[in-house]
Order: sequence, then structure tokens, then C-alpha cells
Amino acid sequence: MASSIPASAPADAVLAPAARAPARRRRRFPALVVAGVGFVGLLLLVAAAAPLLAPQDPIRQSLRGRLAAPTWQGADGRAHLLGTDHLGRDVLSRVIYGSRVSLVIGFSAVLVGGILGSAAGLAAGFSSGRVDAAIMTVADAQLAFPFILLAIGIIAVLGPSFPTLVVVIGLSGWVSYARILRSQVLVLRSREFVESIHALGGSLARVVLRHVLPNVLSSIVVIATLELARAIVLEATLSFLGLGIQPPTPSWGGMVQEGREYLDSAWWISTFPGIVLMITSIVVSRTGDWLRDVLDPTLRGE
Amino acid sequence: MELTRRDLLKGAAALGAAATVPLTAGGPAVAQTTQKKELVTAQAGDISKFDPHFSTSSNDIRVSFNLFDNLTSRHPDGKLHPGLATEWKLENQTTWRFKLRQGVKFHNGDAFTSADAKFSIERTYDPAAKTMVATALATIEKVEAPDPFTLVITTKKPDPLLPARLAFYGGQVVPKKYLESVGNDTFNAKPVGTGPVRFGSWVKDDKAVLEANPDYWGGKIEVDRWIMRPIPETAPRIAALLKGEVDVITQLPPDQGERVAGNATTRVAGALYAGLYVLGVNSKRPPLDNPLVKQALSLAIDREAIVKELWRGRGIVPSQPIAKGDNHFDASLPGLAYNPAEAKERLKKAGYKNEEIFIETTVAYVAQDKAMSEAIAAMWKDVGVNVKVEVIEYSVRAQKNREKSFKGVFWSDPTSTLGDPDGMMWRLLGPGGPQDYWRDAKFDELGNAARFSVDEKFRAGAYKEMTKIFLENLPWLPVIQPYEDYGLQKYVDFTPNPNQQFEVRRFNLKLRRA
Amino acid sequence: MRGFVPFLGHRLFRALIALWLVSTVVFVVMRLSGDPVPLLLPPDAPHSEIMRVRRDLGLDKPLPVQYVIFLSNLARGDFGRSIHFREPAFDVVRGYLAATLELGLTAFFLAALIAVPIGLFSAMRRNTLVDHAAMGLALIGQSAPTFFLGILFILLLSLKADLFPTSGRGDWRNLVLPALTLGAFTMASIARLTRSAVLEVLGADYIRTARAKGVSEMWVVAKHTLKNAAIPIVTITGLQFGTLLGGAVVTETVFSWPGIGRLAVQSIYNRDYAVVQCTVFLAALMFVVINFFVDLIYGVLDPRIRAG
Repeated sequence: MASSIPASAPADAVLAPAARAPARRRRRFPALVVAGVGFVGLLLLVAAAAPLLAPQDPIRQSLRGRLAAPTWQGADGRAHLLGTDHLGRDVLSRVIYGSRVSLVIGFSAVLVGGILGSAAGLAAGFSSGRVDAAIMTVADAQLAFPFILLAIGIIAVLGPSFPTLVVVIGLSGWVSYARILRSQVLVLRSREFVESIHALGGSLARVVLRHVLPNVLSSIVVIATLELARAIVLEATLSFLGLGIQPPTPSWGGMVQEGREYLDSAWWISTFPGIVLMITSIVVSRTGDWLRDVLDPTLRGE
Repeated sequence: MELTRRDLLKGAAALGAAATVPLTAGGPAVAQTTQKKELVTAQAGDISKFDPHFSTSSNDIRVSFNLFDNLTSRHPDGKLHPGLATEWKLENQTTWRFKLRQGVKFHNGDAFTSADAKFSIERTYDPAAKTMVATALATIEKVEAPDPFTLVITTKKPDPLLPARLAFYGGQVVPKKYLESVGNDTFNAKPVGTGPVRFGSWVKDDKAVLEANPDYWGGKIEVDRWIMRPIPETAPRIAALLKGEVDVITQLPPDQGERVAGNATTRVAGALYAGLYVLGVNSKRPPLDNPLVKQALSLAIDREAIVKELWRGRGIVPSQPIAKGDNHFDASLPGLAYNPAEAKERLKKAGYKNEEIFIETTVAYVAQDKAMSEAIAAMWKDVGVNVKVEVIEYSVRAQKNREKSFKGVFWSDPTSTLGDPDGMMWRLLGPGGPQDYWRDAKFDELGNAARFSVDEKFRAGAYKEMTKIFLENLPWLPVIQPYEDYGLQKYVDFTPNPNQQFEVRRFNLKLRRA
Repeated sequence: MRGFVPFLGHRLFRALIALWLVSTVVFVVMRLSGDPVPLLLPPDAPHSEIMRVRRDLGLDKPLPVQYVIFLSNLARGDFGRSIHFREPAFDVVRGYLAATLELGLTAFFLAALIAVPIGLFSAMRRNTLVDHAAMGLALIGQSAPTFFLGILFILLLSLKADLFPTSGRGDWRNLVLPALTLGAFTMASIARLTRSAVLEVLGADYIRTARAKGVSEMWVVAKHTLKNAAIPIVTITGLQFGTLLGGAVVTETVFSWPGIGRLAVQSIYNRDYAVVQCTVFLAALMFVVINFFVDLIYGVLDPRIRAG
């Protein structure tokens, strides 16, 4: 994967889709994208309404009712539709509450990464060769680094806490934003671009507003969606490794880890949160793919 | 159940009687047999060092006690037996004389003599050697080897427990000539001892192969080869046993014990751990400096539920800081009480103002540590304690342990190394000890006196008194004395040792042949 | 080719800087993560012991001095000594490297072996149930979290169906599940890639020409598919191997596979600086080298890039 986008190419990239965009906007978004976005909305709803939806307190233990299979009538007289875990806590309630962790950390990390990356990209694009090269070299270094080890190392140093996780996960994704913004800025600043604008008889400001900005925004939306899926999975992976959100707060990755010992006896402890995680990851990243197809196919090379 | 019969037959087992036919909880009594000449075992962590003086981890002990012999040996029956020393006598208050076994050879052919024993002992506390077991034999003043098969040890003060000290880690005998010629690193890579097995090969994270020592003085072991594999994850480790890929697994969690016991080809064998699982308390940190608070915390723990549910009954509720099975264990003391109402009262009396109390737990350093932490946290919350559970890395724990900087309570599994309160309660809680967060003048005076007294009646009285002081001040919150369970194929006759030594010598390990 | 050599030279320079940055970050993070000495000595060791061991390990010098020593050793290929294993760090890593390479290569070839026919088949049976099912699975492979995929495989194929062992390294049977897990993303990518490449070719003019001429359709499809897919294939291969370590960390942890991914994680927990530095450096080196070759191949395949 070449790490730098040749600066000259994107003149078309910026203008062409923008020129096509009005035509696209008239077309309806395909149903699948709507469904995908709807799923995320549904998830947000579930996370927000967790106290109403969850049948039980997710951290309420019942040592006598441990490791119960999914049942309508548990040892404590209540229904445990997805069973109980090794401390007798209701799996369904924990899965519902787990969505909070995934979404809050996911969105926060995307925000952090997005702001950081955009800032870096703008800085790289607008400044001189040195700063630009420095920023892009840092990007290279980050790609070369097996990031999960860096995450483990940092969390081992600082301890797993919400802000640490958000920053670490956010840091893992800034590069994509930076590249896009940088290339857009470079195009804007390139002489060919400025000349073609003048040739076409338009003002720079108007072009930026009507074509470049929407284009950048749609690129960012696509990247953010894909990054959201990645952030959710990374958070779950770190929780699985024991470096994520700490007990007793339920998180999908942490639940998969807790159930590992019981995989062949109380399989429900790992399986249900894992499946929900998988579905979320699939739907969100697919939505990102579709958004990209609709909004900005030039991102496909990323 | 099988365990009770084991208790009764402990003596027989020590004599090598293979008469026991274990019953299992579920299936019929199937007497399995095998023609295997190889023993494959799996434990939860890989070996880190073969040099017996450089590690006290249970994963290393299981191998090092079989590569090497000690002068004295603690068998699974709890008694001290001759090892490389055939007899020993207290000559005067501070001098012990050991008669050493003749005709013993190291794995490389060198003969074992008193020079090796002297060298081994002195190595443990030699500052230049920097061993991990520097304090194990710290009561020794000097070691003399007047002839090749006699050892005279002089202790700084009267030390009735010296033979017991020599039986545990730090007491393994290493070859003087070989070690001095190849140096520590090569010795660790290619260890040489006198034990029933010798080093074959080691692929990290894969397996260690140990070959039977055909000339072992205690008789060649039952198999020709012993393979030790690390399988850190529980489910695969158990699956390996159930599928017949391994013969013995260690660290069998109670939740899985029923599956192993109910399976037609396998069984469970456990030994009551010679020690306790406790929550160590940093009594320097308020509000844990207030004995009333600690008493409340102890009263709020429903140990019965923890033993019955989390441990499936594989453990007992502790009653004192002395492990059951040790000298001077007071069987008349009741198990530590559970009384949430009284706990609330004490908190009020203590003037508890909702300060945060931390449980800093590791994951799988002490068995079920994280699960117990969460369970206990819920119990404490129920009586109004503002409790927070924090998971910390093992290396962080090691650092905090050394710097004595825990935020609140932390898991510890004090081992009773000598079968005596001196080796556990006093070793760890005494002044300057590793868990020295709390001091009491009377406690210290008694502990010191008891260590160096040869009068067992006096010692009994002293430890009784110390226990009383302990229970008032609770520098530890004892939680459980668990059984440490092993999973075995039914054709393996093996008795677990309460101190985690994995005894493969002839008298303890046999494979049932057709 | 005029712009190409300076282009490569430029890339090389950037790569070296990247390697240096990576090493520095590892150094800083590991040194900040705490003291390994408490792990090496018994808890009741006196303070003088601690100081002595620190001095022996060179940990008592000020950080900048340690850093300079570290860099100069690195330049000579000396990665230092593993505190935990008491061996040169490089030797330790080398022992585990084979396992990771075995896993990575198997994952890749298995992925290619399975994915290409599937992609081909899907394209030829476009929009049928088979196609949708295959692409559905590919979707799962690309987006599913690796650790859970591994857990699912263990649950279904090992514990329930008893087809494969649950963990560890042994014979070929032990390789299957970890390789499938590690290669899932690549497999899915290759399948989708093959499918779209074949579809593109199927719809193209030269197919009709070939049909008209009576030339074997298969051959034409294959040839043109290869041409179309060449760059993406190189990309995917580069991605799989360049990021092998990162992907292996999770897979090796789930399957207790004794490779450098797992070694790196254990060494972080053990504060075994030298081993962590060595593994990360080698991983970054691998990434950089592979990317370099990928760029080289791009240059050969796609003249546009050569022009700079």
C-alpha cells in the first residue's frame, strides 16, 4: 500500500465527484444504507434505554444461580433468556448494557481520531514540506507498528480507564482522516486547480463551499463509519485481553473472555455477546462500504 | 466420595500400595489400564527456569523437585522423609548433624558428596548468586562438611524447623563441580541434579521432555519419559485430558471438576492446599488501619457461599491464620463468621464515612481471584461499603508487593512452607516480612520467641495468643483453604502433595498395567 | 524509469525514519511501564539486592543514556538480553519466529486456495444462492472480530465436533483453526476480489471475441482476471504479511500458539524490554521491507506510478 497519494491526481477526484454529486443527491439512498444506519440508530436506542429494556440488574450476582442455561425459570424464579454467567448474572441484561460501552467508546474514539486526524491532515496540507513530511512519516511509522502491541503497552502503563481507552483507540485511526484532508488541501493549493477554477470563471470560495466541502464531509462520513466498526472491534479485543473496561461493568469483549473457561459447558456466556458484536461490526462496516459506494468511490483504494 | 477414601488411605499410598480403586461421582468403577511408557502432563503455565534456586513458581516447582533431590523430603502424607540425608540429629541447641546417602550420582555421573550439599545451601544466601530463595535458609550460621557423607549445620539461634526448611524450595541440592564449571546460565539451560528424572529437552511454550534416571537411588520411576506441556487456557487443558491427549492436568478449576469426575476415563484427585487464600490488607491505608473496619469486612464475606458455589465445595472455610494440617492448628476455633448485620454495626462503630476500599485483583494468579473479587465486592456493597475492584497485571502486582504500595486489599496465597505457623504467619507477617503492613508488639515478641524455641508446648501457647491478636486486627482476611485439584486418567495412581510438589517418584506415581 | 529510482530512494529514507520512530516509541513505552526487577527477586529481597540487579541490567543509568546505548546497540544488531529467559533477546525471538511464519504462510495459502475457487464460482453463478451465501460468508470474514472468530471455531469445530485440537502447536491438525482465523480477512478479501475481477472480465468485449473465435473461455477469463487482479492481489499479500504480527497477536493468544505475537504480549506483561523491542522492531522491519517490495512491484505493474 503506497503511503502517499500523488498530489496531482485528485484534481479530478475533488471536482469530478463533486460535479457528479448533484446528480447523485437527486437519487435516493439505497435501502440497504438506510437499513444500516437504522441499525446503528436502533443500537443507540437500546443503549440509551438499557435500564428499561434489561430484565435485570446486569451486575446483580446470584452465586446459587451460577452458570444456568437459558431458561424461562431460573433458580431465583426469574427468566434468564440467555442464561447466567459464572457469578449468576443475567447474560441478556449484560449484553444490553454492554452496548453502552461499545457505542460510547466507539463514538468517542471516532471523534478523537477524527479531530486529531483532520487537524493533522490540514496541518500537513497547509504547511511547508518539512512539517508535511514529518506528519506523514509519523503516519508511516504508525502503520508499520503492530498497533495492538502499542495499545497493550500503553494500557499496561496507564491502567485501563475510560479516557485512556478512548485516546488509545482514537489514536489508532487518525491516519485515514489525515490522508484525505491532506490530499484535498494539496489539491486546493495546487496551481492547476486554482488555474482551472479561474478558467472556469468561478471564485475559489464558492468552489470550496459548494464542491470541496461537501466532498470532504462525505469522505469523512464514510471514514468515520468504517472507523466506528473498527473502534468497536478494537475495544472488544482489548476487553477480551483484559485491558478494556473493568469489572463489573459489562462489555461484549470482556464477556467473551469471561466465558472462555466455560466454552464447552456454559457456551452461552461467550457466544451471545460475541454474536451481537459480530453483527454490529458487520452491519456498521457494510454501511460504511455502501456509503462509500454512494458518496465517494475514489476512497476505494484506501 | 473418592476423596474421603484417599484421606483414609494416605498412609497406604505413602508405602506405594496400589490397592485403591477410586470411585467416581458418576460413572461405574472402571479400572483403566495402560501400556504407556510415557507420562504426559499439562499445567497452566510454562516453565520459566530449571535452576531450582531461581524460581518459586508452582509451574517450575513441579519440575525442579523432580530434577533435584533435597536433603529431607516432604511426602504427600505431610511427613518429612529422608532424601539425600538418611538421618539427622539435633546435637545441641544450635547444631544439627546430617548423615548423607552414599552411592548417589548426579545425572552427569559425578558423585554426590557433602561438598555439594554445603555448596547448595551456601549458594541460596550467597549475595553474589542473587537467588530467588535467599531467605529460605537464612537461619543458618554456617555449614561444615567434615567428611564426604556428613553435614553439620549450625544455626544462628535454636531452629527446630531446620529439617523442614531443607525440604522445601531453596533446599534442592545442585552439583558443585558442574555448576562452577559451566556457570549459572548454562546450568539453567542444561540442568543436572540427582533426581528421578533428568533433563532431556525444552522447547519454550511447547513442551519439556524429561528422561527417567535409571540409576535413581529411590528406584527408577514408572515411566521412561515425562513430558510437561503448558496449556494456559482452561477449556483446552481439560479437553486435552478428556480426549486422552494428556495423562494428568494440574490447576483443575472446581467448575470443571464434575465433568472430569463424571467422565468414564478420568478422575479428580485433590489435596487440601498447605496454605490459605487470603486478601492481604494494606493496614497502613485508612480506613483499613481501623481494626473495626477490617472486622466488618470479614464479617460481610459469606465464605460458605463462596466455598459451596464458586468452589463447588472444594475447600474449607478458614478459622485462623494457620492452615489446617499444620502444627498447632487449633481445631476448636470456629470458621470465620458471616454476619452482615453485625458487619454494618461495626462499620458504624468504626465511624466509616464511605471511603473507597479497593480490591486490587490479578487474573488467575490465585485461582478464581477475579471471580472471588467480584463476589466479595458485591457482598461488601450489600453492607454499605464503597468498594471498587481494580484488575492489575501480575507484574504490577509484583511491583506493588515489593514497594508495599497496594491501595487496599490484594490476593495472596501464603504457602505454609514448613508445615508450621513459623513458615507462614510469621514468615510473611513478621517485622520486615513481605506483608509487613501492621505491627503489634506482643505479636512480634511471641513470634520471635516461638521461632527459636524447641519447646512445643510453649510454641503452641504462643501461636494461640498470636492467633487471637490476628483475629482482632486481621492483617489478612482469610477467605478459603481450597483443595488444589488435579485431573487424571484413571490408569494413573498419584497422590497430590499439599505443597504443590508434583511427586513422580516411585512411591507416589504408578501407571496401572493390565 | 526516471522518476522511479528517486521515488524508491525517498521511500527508503522514509522507511528508515519510520523504523527509528517505532524503536523510540517502544523504548519509551516500555521504560515507562515499570520496573522488571521486582519480578526477578523474591518479595523480601533487601533494597541493596534490587540496586545491584538494576546495576547489572544497566537500568540504573539515566533514561537518555539508556536510550543512546539502546540505539547504538540496535545499529549493531544487538537487541540486548532477555531478562526473563536470560538469553540474548534475538535468540529468544528467533525461537518463536518459526511458529508465526508457519502460521502466517499457512493462513495465506489456505486463504488463497479456498478463496479463489469460491470467488470464481460465485462470479460464474452470479446472483444465485451460492453467490449470496459465499459473499455473505466473505462479509463475515472481513468484518468479524478475529478473537471471536477464533472462539467460534474452537467451540464448533473443536469442542463440539471434535475435528481439531483446541490449542497449541503440534501436527497439521493444530494448524487448521488458527490459520483459518488468521486468514479469514484475507480469505474474504481475496474471494470478493476474485469475484469482481472475474465479473469484470466476463462482461468484457474480449470474452465475446473469444467466444466468437472459439477460444477456450476459461483460459481467457483466467488470463485477464489475473491481469486485473494483479495489483489488488499484491496489495492484499503485502497487507497480510506486512501486518502479520499485529494480526497474529490475537490469534496466537486465542489458540495459545507459541509465536512471536504471544511472546510479545507476555514480554510486555513481564516487562522484558529487550524482547518487546526486538519483536516490535522486527515486525516493523518486516512491514517496511514488504511495503518496499510492494511499491517496487507496483512500479513494474503500473507504469503510471513510475512516472512519479
